[in-house]
Amino acid sequence: MDSHIIRRPLTPGRVLKVSSILGVSLAVTIIISLMLGTANVSLEDVLRMFFHGSQVKESARLIVLKIRLPRIFLAGLTGFSLSLGGLVFQALLRNPLADPFVLGVSSGAAFGAVMGIILGVGFSIGVPLFSFCGALLTIYLVLTISRRKMGVESATAILAGVIVNAFFTAIIMFFIATSSEDRLHSMLFWLYGDLSQSQIAYSGIIAPVVLFGFALLYSFSRHLNLLAAGEEAALHLGVNVERAKFICFITVSLMVGLVVSFSGLIGFVGLIVPHLSRMILGSDHRLLMPVSALGGALFLIVADTAARTVISPSELPVGVITAFLGAPFFIYLLKTRGSRWTR
Amino acid sequence: MKGKIPIYFGLLFLAFAIGLWNVSPTWSMTYVDALDRRVSLERPPKRIVSLAPSLTEMLYYLGLGDRVVGVTTFSDYPPEAARKPKVGSYAHLNVEKIIELNPDLVVGTKDGNSPTVIHLLEQAGIPVYIVNPRRVKDVGTTLYDMARLCGVEEKGRLLSQRLAHKVQYVQDKVKGLRRPLVFLQINLRPIITVNKNTIHNDVIRLAGGINMAENEPITYPTISLEEVLKRRPEVIVISSMERGGRFEKARQDWMRWKSIPAVRENRVYLVDSDCLDRPSPRIIDGLETLARLLHPDLEWEGLGRE
Repeated sequence: MDSHIIRRPLTPGRVLKVSSILGVSLAVTIIISLMLGTANVSLEDVLRMFFHGSQVKESARLIVLKIRLPRIFLAGLTGFSLSLGGLVFQALLRNPLADPFVLGVSSGAAFGAVMGIILGVGFSIGVPLFSFCGALLTIYLVLTISRRKMGVESATAILAGVIVNAFFTAIIMFFIATSSEDRLHSMLFWLYGDLSQSQIAYSGIIAPVVLFGFALLYSFSRHLNLLAAGEEAALHLGVNVERAKFICFITVSLMVGLVVSFSGLIGFVGLIVPHLSRMILGSDHRLLMPVSALGGALFLIVADTAARTVISPSELPVGVITAFLGAPFFIYLLKTRGSRWTR
Repeated sequence: MKGKIPIYFGLLFLAFAIGLWNVSPTWSMTYVDALDRRVSLERPPKRIVSLAPSLTEMLYYLGLGDRVVGVTTFSDYPPEAARKPKVGSYAHLNVEKIIELNPDLVVGTKDGNSPTVIHLLEQAGIPVYIVNPRRVKDVGTTLYDMARLCGVEEKGRLLSQRLAHKVQYVQDKVKGLRRPLVFLQINLRPIITVNKNTIHNDVIRLAGGINMAENEPITYPTISLEEVLKRRPEVIVISSMERGGRFEKARQDWMRWKSIPAVRENRVYLVDSDCLDRPSPRIIDGLETLARLLHPDLEWEGLGRE
């Protein structure tokens, strides 16, 4: 349906319009999400808190500003990065399966984080740094394994990613099984993706990197359009393919490494949101990038809000919700609309 | 009329106590907890949230059950504790719920509760007192610390002394006796046991036994059937929360291996896991039960039950 929307030439105005619609939905979602939780907080309280703070009960203020808000920010930034990472990987490798989780970048980052914890580096800077190195190491391994004379072979890259992923997961499991430190045992939960221990400072560290990463990747959006059509074509049209790929891979690894070190392994976001965006809006990355990123943020905030409310006061790992909500919806769209990849 | 006189006296006493309270409103006390944090209380806490099943048990043991306003998911003893509002599980707490309960004291443990949670509660202005009972003897001291914190110091002293006496009694009894090799199974499949860094190990040692896996490098090692056959334990203790069914099955499974001395002598037992792995007053019951099982030839007077 509405195929004329998709075929209409893309203008900056349209990008802005679609992005602001998503931005407003994101803001509304954040406010609703701030209201929901174990403790009852009304919409009035939430709004009052931001406009004239003093008239709200101290405990409600604390719950909303110190517990829910940091968590929502972290969920948003994580969803933003994972989804954008998925979109970029899919374009670079021209493979619908590519995403930070499948390619092993997430578990490489988690592996780095676990090494950091074992070596006892400080959590605020040290662990994210290790995590980033783990992500870089993984993408390097995957690309080296799948490099052929004609460039990177995308099916091989996916296969390599799956194997590297399994390998790093095994190492993490090994450390968890053999570690006598109780801290490592609690990391098991962290490996399933856990946003519950968020502090606002985390978002302070992540946000600048994510925004910078987005700006950098966005400047390559035209290159990605051409690359998605085929590397050779891109080369002929004057794209410095190797340079563009190099910068994009590094940037995504940095973003993913960083978010994984704070929120753990969360799958599905990088697969589902970019494909949804493509199904609805076509294949122009100038539009897809902001849409996927904001959509990823929205999706993970909704999923995490569900994770912390459905069996309150206990909570579910957020990965359970992303797959549970995401998979059926995704299958429905795949059946009714088909994927852009198949056309 | 006669029956009412004690009530009048009671009321009078209460009024007197309230009067005293008003005269000395600066009860404020500062304590140092297991993380060397200073914890100040304005008055004895009336709304306590416990962040571990063992601490819930201690509070009830001290007779402070009605001051408990929140417990963790697995706080199931005494049974009435299970009906208190839940604040999530031991390792995964719901800070929102804790704050909503508006406690004037939160008690937690050093290894279970995360620094982030402590930090958030501190920011909320809620006093958090962290304890770290890791050995059987720590149960008494922790109990006393909590009693002092809650303004029932004398009761705490009495009860912790009673626990210490019981431990001493068992130790005196088993002194000099040959120590049987004990295999403690804390999980059926895979077979998981404990090394010397656990409170279980402490219980086995105090009960006059030797933990077969004490020198394993991993705290909760998974061990093969082969290894158990090789080491030939004299007593097998399966720690479980459920009787019958699964346990009987596990017992039957062991019965096939007659080369294990414990099996040959029919010394495969079930002990309630809560009495072996929670550093709560009930661990003394666990100690007494285990001592009886390890040394059945001794004369045990009134032990195991009160």
